[in-house]
Amino acid sequence: MRPLIVVLIVLAAWELVSRSGLWSPILFPSLAKIGGALWAFVSRPEGFTQSWTTLYRAFGGFAAAALAGVLLGMLMGRSAFVAATLDPLFSGTYAVPKLALFPIFIFIFGLGSLSKIALIFLECLYPMTIITYHGSRSVNRVLLWSASNMGASHWRTLMRVVLPATLPYIFAALRVALPVALIVAIITEMISSVDGLGYLVTYSLSSLRTDRMLALVVVISLLGLALDRALVVLRNRLVYWEKLDTYYV
Amino acid sequence: MLWQLLTLGGHPDYILAPLDIAKHFIAALGTRELYADAAASLLRALPGFVIGTLAGVGLGLAAGIARGFDDTVSPLVFLTYPVPKIVMLPLFMLWFGIGDVSKIMIIALACFYPAYINAYYGAKATPRILVWSARNMGASKAEIFRRVVLPGALPQIYAGMRVALALSFIVMFATEMINARSGLGHLIREAENSLRFDLMYVSLVTIAILGYAGDRLLRYSRHRLLPWETSHA
Repeated sequence: MRPLIVVLIVLAAWELVSRSGLWSPILFPSLAKIGGALWAFVSRPEGFTQSWTTLYRAFGGFAAAALAGVLLGMLMGRSAFVAATLDPLFSGTYAVPKLALFPIFIFIFGLGSLSKIALIFLECLYPMTIITYHGSRSVNRVLLWSASNMGASHWRTLMRVVLPATLPYIFAALRVALPVALIVAIITEMISSVDGLGYLVTYSLSSLRTDRMLALVVVISLLGLALDRALVVLRNRLVYWEKLDTYYV
Repeated sequence: MLWQLLTLGGHPDYILAPLDIAKHFIAALGTRELYADAAASLLRALPGFVIGTLAGVGLGLAAGIARGFDDTVSPLVFLTYPVPKIVMLPLFMLWFGIGDVSKIMIIALACFYPAYINAYYGAKATPRILVWSARNMGASKAEIFRRVVLPGALPQIYAGMRVALALSFIVMFATEMINARSGLGHLIREAENSLRFDLMYVSLVTIAILGYAGDRLLRYSRHRLLPWETSHA
């Protein structure tokens, strides 16, 4: 209940500021205007195609990174050799902003979606790999021993013991990586693009249509929220035996 | 090594061999511009990082120990966490101008979330027994916070700071690429526009070194502050 009141207070304050006339309506457009722009955006098919462009890029990079990251993380968790090779590579370049590679990616993959998807893949790969790695390392040893004691093959142990035990971590990683994918999609669209939501934001700003821009901010925020919720629902269906809060990693 | 060998066999203009990059980088170290741009970038990333993490850790710890505050603030933070903060940049540019203030604010905003969430869970995870026994031995509330909750939450706070530091560099770079007249992000954009691939790689190497150095520094201070914790986050 209380957070709802805070939200209402913020909205009321916004309306008050926009009506006070102290600042130009360009800086603080009224809620009605933002709502109008929001309706104009969602009621036209263009709104959906632009959102789809952004989501398509975000999902493309995210899905590839999820697959590769889980695979790499599991390999690192199960093989000391792979871990010793890859761990320094990942932790050494972890704090380096991968976004700096974007101009080079543009030259390699072109101006279109591919360079953006490649960058999203790279940014998402880090949390996916690192968290999966930690997860597969923390599998209870007793379970592994008893599995091999009962004659389970390597492959069977991996599928029946390691994977389920790592699954909560994988979902935690997905939940970290999904907002990253959306952020990078928007950023790259703001930097260089002719379509997508990020482009529309910069376009509305440069044409001083701040009501449209704020409507887009609302759309992007709702998208981020909806995707996160969907992931949580999926997680609770798949990893029903563990009710751990996935932000805690 | 592999890269150097591959590029020996011929390569397009936009991919330089590592040795060439090193050569250009050392040449650029002799010029003043690189330092000016690096300083401009750091002057945006660091204040943003400090403001964001201080606010995040402070509020996160407060929410971790005070239930009423927790009920009001935490749902809002968790609700807005998956929202890409970078979309606020145009808005901040309108409010705070296109200069450094809007960039620092957006970096602070981005750093706030991981700092808050980690400090919050760090404080929440304090074992009840420790609090009880401290209270039993007559420790005051402030003392319990300082001697029990804070040390317990510190590893988690460091994990949050590490994420926040990486984020501050990413957001700094993003904002500079979107609009700025100085800084490493600006340098790489300009190099791209004028097809100066050597400059592009120089800026890339600089940002990589800065990010790496910041991460190392954080790890070192963590090692000094938390000698009992040897695991890496």
